[in-house]
Amino acid sequence: MKRIEIRIRDAKEEELKRISDDMGLSLNLEEMKRIKRYFVAKKREPTDVELQSIAQAWSEHCCYKSSKRILQKFIFGIEAPQNMLVIKEDAGVVEFDEEHAYVVAFESHNHPSAVEPYGGAATGIGGIVRDVICMGAQPIALIDPLFFGQLSHPDEKLPVGIKHPRFLFNGVVSGIGDYGNRIGIPTCAGMVYFDDGYVGNCVVNVGCVGIMNKADLSRSWAKPGEVLVLVGGKTGRDGIHGVTFASVELTGEEESRSAVQVGDPITKEPLMHAISEANELGLISGMKDLGGGGLSCAVSEMSHAGGCGADVHLERVKLKEEGLDGWEIWVSESQERFLIAVSGDNVEGLLAIFDKWDIDAVVIGQTFKKRPQVRIFYEGERIFELDTDFLVACPIHERPKEIRKKEEEEVSIEEPKDYNEVLTWLLAAPNITSRESIIRQYDHEVRASTVLKPMQGVIGKQTHGDAAVIKPLEESYKGLAITSDVNPSFCKLNPFWGAASAIDEVCRNLTAVGAVPHSLADCLNFGNPEKPDRMGDFYECCRGLGYMASSLGVPFVSGNVSFYNESAAMDESIPPTPAVLGIGICEDGRECITVDVKEADGNLLYVMGETKAELGGSEYYRLRHVEGGIVPRTEPEVLMQSMNALREAMQAGLIASCHDLSEGGLGVAVCEMLLGGDIGASIDLAGVKPELRSDYKLFSESNTRWVVEVWREEKRRFEDWLKERKVYVTKIGETVGEKRVGICDGKKELVEISLEEVREAWGGEIC
Amino acid sequence: MRTPKICILRIEGTNCELETSFAFTRLGASAEIVHLKQLTGAVNERERRNLKDYDLLVIPGGFSSGDYIRAGAILAARIKGALGAEIADFIENGSPILGICNGFQVLVEMGLLPGPSFGFAHEKGAIQRVALTTNDSARFECRPTFIKHENRGKCVFTGGIEKGSILKMPCAHAEGKFFIAEQEGEWGEVMEYIQLLEESDQIVFRYVDPEGNYAPYPWNPNGSVYNIAGICNPEGNILGLMPHPERAFYSFTDSEWSRRKRKGEGKKEDTCFGDGKKIFESVLNYISKKSYL
Repeated sequence: MKRIEIRIRDAKEEELKRISDDMGLSLNLEEMKRIKRYFVAKKREPTDVELQSIAQAWSEHCCYKSSKRILQKFIFGIEAPQNMLVIKEDAGVVEFDEEHAYVVAFESHNHPSAVEPYGGAATGIGGIVRDVICMGAQPIALIDPLFFGQLSHPDEKLPVGIKHPRFLFNGVVSGIGDYGNRIGIPTCAGMVYFDDGYVGNCVVNVGCVGIMNKADLSRSWAKPGEVLVLVGGKTGRDGIHGVTFASVELTGEEESRSAVQVGDPITKEPLMHAISEANELGLISGMKDLGGGGLSCAVSEMSHAGGCGADVHLERVKLKEEGLDGWEIWVSESQERFLIAVSGDNVEGLLAIFDKWDIDAVVIGQTFKKRPQVRIFYEGERIFELDTDFLVACPIHERPKEIRKKEEEEVSIEEPKDYNEVLTWLLAAPNITSRESIIRQYDHEVRASTVLKPMQGVIGKQTHGDAAVIKPLEESYKGLAITSDVNPSFCKLNPFWGAASAIDEVCRNLTAVGAVPHSLADCLNFGNPEKPDRMGDFYECCRGLGYMASSLGVPFVSGNVSFYNESAAMDESIPPTPAVLGIGICEDGRECITVDVKEADGNLLYVMGETKAELGGSEYYRLRHVEGGIVPRTEPEVLMQSMNALREAMQAGLIASCHDLSEGGLGVAVCEMLLGGDIGASIDLAGVKPELRSDYKLFSESNTRWVVEVWREEKRRFEDWLKERKVYVTKIGETVGEKRVGICDGKKELVEISLEEVREAWGGEIC
Repeated sequence: MRTPKICILRIEGTNCELETSFAFTRLGASAEIVHLKQLTGAVNERERRNLKDYDLLVIPGGFSSGDYIRAGAILAARIKGALGAEIADFIENGSPILGICNGFQVLVEMGLLPGPSFGFAHEKGAIQRVALTTNDSARFECRPTFIKHENRGKCVFTGGIEKGSILKMPCAHAEGKFFIAEQEGEWGEVMEYIQLLEESDQIVFRYVDPEGNYAPYPWNPNGSVYNIAGICNPEGNILGLMPHPERAFYSFTDSEWSRRKRKGEGKKEDTCFGDGKKIFESVLNYISKKSYL
C-alpha cells in the first residue's frame, strides 16, 4: 500500500469542490476550505485516508451539523429523575429499578433500504442492536416503524431507478425477520405506513431496547494507556461511504449498492454473548460499536471522549478480501464489529473469551496520553496523523429555514349516504387493515418475556394491540411497555401539531395497556436540509415534539436525524416523519390491559376525551380524496389528566379493555376491539359532541381519546370516578349477544354489519 | 436426593437457551448452558464439561449456525462428528434428550428421531425418510398453537400429562412441516409410516384447533402431515417438538391470558402457570425416579 497525498494547500475553490466530488466526500466548499487551512498550518498535504476520515466525521449522519442547534433548543435537556446517561452516547440509559437500567436506541436505515431493501433493513437491525450492546446491555426488544409508497402504485408511474414499493416492502420485512429472528431478539412493536410521498425514498426506522445491571454500564471511551481490540466480523468493502451516502439525496444509481453493508446475524449472536461475558467479568473499560464511519469514527470518538491519543496499525485488521486500500479499511462500515478498550492486564482474558466463541479479536492499537491525536500506521509507515479536536469539531450549520404560514381551513364535504360502505372501506384501507401477515413473520416472543404481544385477543381472532409489554427480569414482574408512532399525513399539513400528535399517540398507546410514559426516542426523517422549506418543517416538528415532551416531563433519551430523504427522480421530499418511540413502565406486567373486548351482552363502552371536527390528514379524508383540513390539536395538561384518570380506573379494576383512537377514529377503534374479542356491540353516538355531524363523530382523529370497556357492575363507580377527575367521558353503547356491529346517531341509523363482514374487510392481506 | 443436572447445548445461533434454562431452574433443577466446544474439549480445562455428568440434554430453539443449509443440519453434523459416541452412550443409558424447535430439527437431522430402532429404519435401510421442511405458507410463523397429547405412556416427557388433553404453546419457525418422503411415490406408504409411528407409540403431540379437532392452517401452522407437532423415539426418552414449552411456562406469556381473568387473578398458585411447565415437570419426575432406581 502506498501513502497517497492529495494536493490541497494550493487548490483553488473549483479544485477543492472537485476533490470532494471525486473522492465521494460529500463536503461543501466551506468545509473543504477549513480542511485546507488546517493542513496549511500543518505545513503538509493530507493523505487520502485523512481526507476520507474527516469526511466521515463531518458528515451530516455522524455530526448532525444541520440539526444540532435545533435539537439542543427543543429536544435535548428535558430533565427527569430517571435519566442516567441520555442523548450523549449511542443509546440512552434510563433507570428501571434500583439495580437495573434499560437502554433505548432508535435509528434510521433509509437510504440503504431504498437501494437494497433486504440487506438495508437487516443491517439496520444489526446496527441498532450494537448500539444497545455497547452500553453493556442485553437487547430485549426490537421495534420497526416502516414507511412506503402505496403498494398499488402503478408501475408505469415509477421513475427510472426507483424501486417499486412492493419490492421494497417485501424485502424490508424479510430482512428484519431474517436478522431479528436469527439473533433471538423479539420484534414486538412497530408500524407500517403507506403514502405516495415515500415512493422515491422509503423510510425504515429501527429501535432496540435493552436491559442491564447499572454496574455493567460501559462507556464509549478509551482512557490513556489502554489497548484497542477490534472484535467481531471481518472488514471488507461493503458499506464504504455509508454515512456520506446517507448525507446526500438518492440518485438511483446502482453503484450506491456498495454503500450497503452485508449483515451476518450468526456472527452477531455469539458476539453478544462474548461481549456480555467479558463485560460481566469487568474486562472491558470502554466500548463502541462500529457503525457509520467505521473504525475512523470509533477510534477518534473513543479517544477524544477519554482525552487521549491513539495509534492504530491497520495491517492487523482482519480482512474479508485482499487488496483493500488503507482508507477503505479505515472507513469501511462492515457489520458486526466493536472496538473495545481494555487495560493491558486484561487483554489475554478478553481474547480467550472471544476465542471460545470462535470470534475474531485482534489488538489493533493503543492509546497514549501525550497528545490528543490519532495516528495510523500501515506496515510501519505513518499514513494518518490528525488532532482529534479538529476531527470531531465538525462545522455546525445554521441552515436557512422557511416556516409555512398558511393556516389550515376546514373543508366541507357531503355527508356519506352509506356508512356501512365507508366503514368497511376504511377498515380495508392500507393504513388501517390488519398487520398480522407481517407481525407473524417476526418472532415476537423469543426470550419468553413478551407479556403483551403485538396481536391480542381470542386466539384465531386477534387484533392489533396498542403497545407490547416485555418483562425484562426473571426476578421481577415489572414490565416495559413499548410502542412507536407518528402520523405523517398530519405532519405534512401541520408539522408542529403533527409532531405533537405523535407524542400524544405514543402516550395514549402506553396508557392504553396501563403503563406510565417514562422515556421517548425520536427518529427524525426529513428531506434535504439545504432546502429552506424542508428545514422549516424540521424546525416545526422539533418544536412540536419538544413542546409536548417537556410539558409532560417525559425525556427524550436517544434519537437520530436522517436528512436527504428525497430522490432526485421524484423531485419531492418525503412527508415530514418524526417517528417517536415511547417506553412506559408497568409496575406489574400481569395487570396490563389489552384492546380486545372481554364480555358479551352488557359490558359498557365509553369514549374518553373530546371529539372535535379535526379531520385534516385523517384516513377518512384520504378515502374521500380530500386534501387539507384541520389537523388534530392537543393539550398536554388535558392529556396528563386523562392518562392519570384512566390508569387509576384500570388499577381499581374497572376497565376490561381499552384502545386508543387513531387512524380511522372511533368507528375503526370500536371495530378493532370487537374483532379481538369476537363480540358484537350496539353503539349510539348521540352523546358524542352533539353539534358534530355523524361522520365527523365517527371518523375524526382528534387526539387524547380512548375507547374503554367497563365491567357492567362498575358503571356507577367508573362514571363518578371520571367526573371527580374532570375527564371528559361519554357512554357510547354496550356489548351485545349477537356478533354484529350496530352504530346509530340518536334516531339516525348509520351502520349495521355482521362481525364477519368487519373481519373480512379488516383482515385481508395489505394491498 | 441429588439435584437433576440439565445440559442446555449452545452454539452460535441457538437463541432460546436462557429461557429454557429458567424453565428447569424454576422447578429446582440445576441447568447449565454449555457450549458444544465445552463438551468436545476444545476449551481450557476449567470450562471442560462431560455429557455423562448430566441427566438430561436439551437442544434449544434458535437458528444454530444460521440454519443456512437446512434447519438443524449444521449443528447435527457437528454433534455427530465430535460427540457421536458420547451421545450414543447417553441414550443407551436411558438419559433423556429434548429438542425444541430447532432442536427437533437437529434430532431429526441426526437420525435420532424417529430413531435407529424405529421399524422402517431397519426394514428400508438407513435412509432418513422424515424431515422438518419449509412451512406451507413459505413464511416464518410466530403464532399460538394448540397441541393434543397423543402418547399412550412411552414418552418420558409427558408422563404427567393426561392423554387427550390439549396444551397451548406458541410456535415460531420457518421450517416446521413434518414431512415423510414417499419412496415409490405413493401416499399409502406415508400412511403406513404413520401407522408404525402410532403402533410404537411415538406420536406425542398433534396440532388441533381450540375445540380439539385436527384442523388445517392456521391451527396446523406449517402443514405437517397428520398434524404432527412432536414425536419421540421408540424408547420414549428422546422428544422433539416444534412449539416452545419454555415460552408457555407461566400464564402471563400466554397469548390470551388477559381475557380470562379479572385484575390480579392470574397471580394465584393455580392460575399462574402455563401448559409448557408440565413437560419440564414430567421429565424431571422421570429423572428423579430413574436415579432413585
